[in-house]
Amino acid sequence: MNPTSLLSDIRLKRGAALVMNDGEACVQHLGQEILLDHAGSRVLRKLSPYLDKGHDSATLAAYTGETVAAVEALARALEHTGVMTLHDTRAAPADGGMSGLEFHAYHRRYAQHWLQPVYAHPFWAKVVEGRATRAQVLGFAFEKYHYIEAAHEHMGVAAANARPELMPHLARHFIEEYRHGDIYRRGLQSLFDDAAILAAPPLPTTRALVNFLSETAAVDSFGYYAANEVLQMTENSDGGDDDGAVDAFYAGMRRHYPESAKLIEAFVIHTKLDQNLGHDGVFEQMCRDMPRLAAAEVASVMNRARGVVERLLAFMDGIDRWYEAFPQVPRRPYALGAG
Amino acid sequence: MPEALESRLLPRHVHAETRDPATGEVTLTLHDAEVVLDPAAHAAWCALVQSLSAAGAPHGAAVPPPQAVDAFRAAGLLVDAGTLPRELDGAHFHAAYFQPLLQAWLAKAFSHSFWARMMEGRGSARLYAGWLFELYHYTRNANRHMPLAAAHCRNKPVKALLAQHYEEEWSHYHFFSRAARAMGFAAEEVTRSQPLPMTAEMADFMRQAARTDVLCYAACSAVLEGTTTDGSAYTPFYERMQSLYGVPEGAVKPIYDHLALDAQYQHADLFAEICRHEGTLTAERASRVLDFGHQMVEHIWLWTDEIERWYGDPARPMPRMPFDPRLD
Repeated sequence: MNPTSLLSDIRLKRGAALVMNDGEACVQHLGQEILLDHAGSRVLRKLSPYLDKGHDSATLAAYTGETVAAVEALARALEHTGVMTLHDTRAAPADGGMSGLEFHAYHRRYAQHWLQPVYAHPFWAKVVEGRATRAQVLGFAFEKYHYIEAAHEHMGVAAANARPELMPHLARHFIEEYRHGDIYRRGLQSLFDDAAILAAPPLPTTRALVNFLSETAAVDSFGYYAANEVLQMTENSDGGDDDGAVDAFYAGMRRHYPESAKLIEAFVIHTKLDQNLGHDGVFEQMCRDMPRLAAAEVASVMNRARGVVERLLAFMDGIDRWYEAFPQVPRRPYALGAG
Repeated sequence: MPEALESRLLPRHVHAETRDPATGEVTLTLHDAEVVLDPAAHAAWCALVQSLSAAGAPHGAAVPPPQAVDAFRAAGLLVDAGTLPRELDGAHFHAAYFQPLLQAWLAKAFSHSFWARMMEGRGSARLYAGWLFELYHYTRNANRHMPLAAAHCRNKPVKALLAQHYEEEWSHYHFFSRAARAMGFAAEEVTRSQPLPMTAEMADFMRQAARTDVLCYAACSAVLEGTTTDGSAYTPFYERMQSLYGVPEGAVKPIYDHLALDAQYQHADLFAEICRHEGTLTAERASRVLDFGHQMVEHIWLWTDEIERWYGDPARPMPRMPFDPRLD
């Protein structure tokens, strides 16, 4: 490090985006926007090509022709808002850990941001506007059924492998949820023979979501529940649905795909049931009971949370893409002689 | 269910449907034949298939008359379940039921538009590198499923075959690491990178199969090995990657080395050997094994789809790094 630098390893956070507008800079990160004044904007614009390399302040000053003091003042201000990371050579090293409640807020902030592409997935608009095919709509119902039915798998694995202090939460969760697949099954029974429903294999992208949860449940109870909490957030009305998008989705489904009425009924029953179970507060309570999390544990659990969002997106992509290319619903298992 | 089908006629799996725009005729591709139907017969066939899974009375679908059902059976579109064995020898299962399907399955697995895109010059070096990264993870993840399959196996000769297979394969991810490095990525970037969800799922599904039944596992493995045996299929692909996208020799040579090693080990024959050792199979078990194998085919299609969409978008990070609370 350059001896005149007090700050090293200066980087804009990886998910942050710098937007320049008429000489004014705005940094967007996790849904927040940090607006800079004219002077700060000028410095940041010059720094921007170098903010992914982890340079120290003196090096950045040399690259941009700014003073070290100006670079450090801006870097500290941006770090304070959470959009920049740096190492202060005079500060005691931070352990990167956090309390359970701090983690709860941290997890929620990132999860809400990560879920935005799920809420914005093109499949929803296709249904609302009647552009989805019959196979895509019915395929969605089938994959939702497979996913909910798979509570038997991942929640069972979670309960059986639970850390002692989390066991009551995970046991209760399994017991409250394991029948919910039947709600979707009843919806599908309005259209399909029960044997065909039970025999239909899930899409690989649905299995990816279920297998990810099961594999996580086997080795990391808290990471599993943190991932599950992300999914739970999509079931509750405050999970990005302030504009009534879920109601619009069901209305579109009813209007354009009238045969799906019983399926919608099943979706609504299940959402209300989940909300009435009061799962909303369980993760917060769990976090409250957790001992302080070390930095490595925070990183590990957050990777599981991000991993489940990626699989939720794959789940949506799979429905959209597969049933468009291969419109057979229900999907049939391979049987001896039927190949 | 229509009365005519009470004798348990099974519709056969159709791998592809193509419509002639001039005549309206539809060609149904089975694994061993093609059946051409005129528009009315095709509508009747669709109604029949739909009615087989419908609740109670078919929803708006007219059930075809018995003579149409007979015609479909004669054309090979329907199989009488009563004529199928209730149990069968493992070797016979492999030779008569699995092996004849494999080429049609692989054709479906590789029917994704990604391959034509890459071969026709509409791909990119980035897509090729992304594909290498995912192959690296897929190969490395053999360490997550191959030893698990051996651990769950209770048949001594089969257990030995699985263990030997693992011994021969476990370190093959180095081939792909070398190829990715030749594309300009640092060794640490390759090692620390995160697989796409469907790449991870390929291994998770193999683990699921390993816990279910050794034959389900071995069928999936046979599908995967089947993708590496036909040199006439993969050699032109790698040659085109070099000529179209400037992919360096060093990013292709390790792949050839890996394929040559796989061929030398004759891993593609392993499933036949395992089937022989497993003795008699019930029809239910044989069906389950086929279904796992076919699900692996579907996995490959959706895996390809995800690779194309992720790495085809220049805004997506490459390599994919794990979440880091300090950097993210």
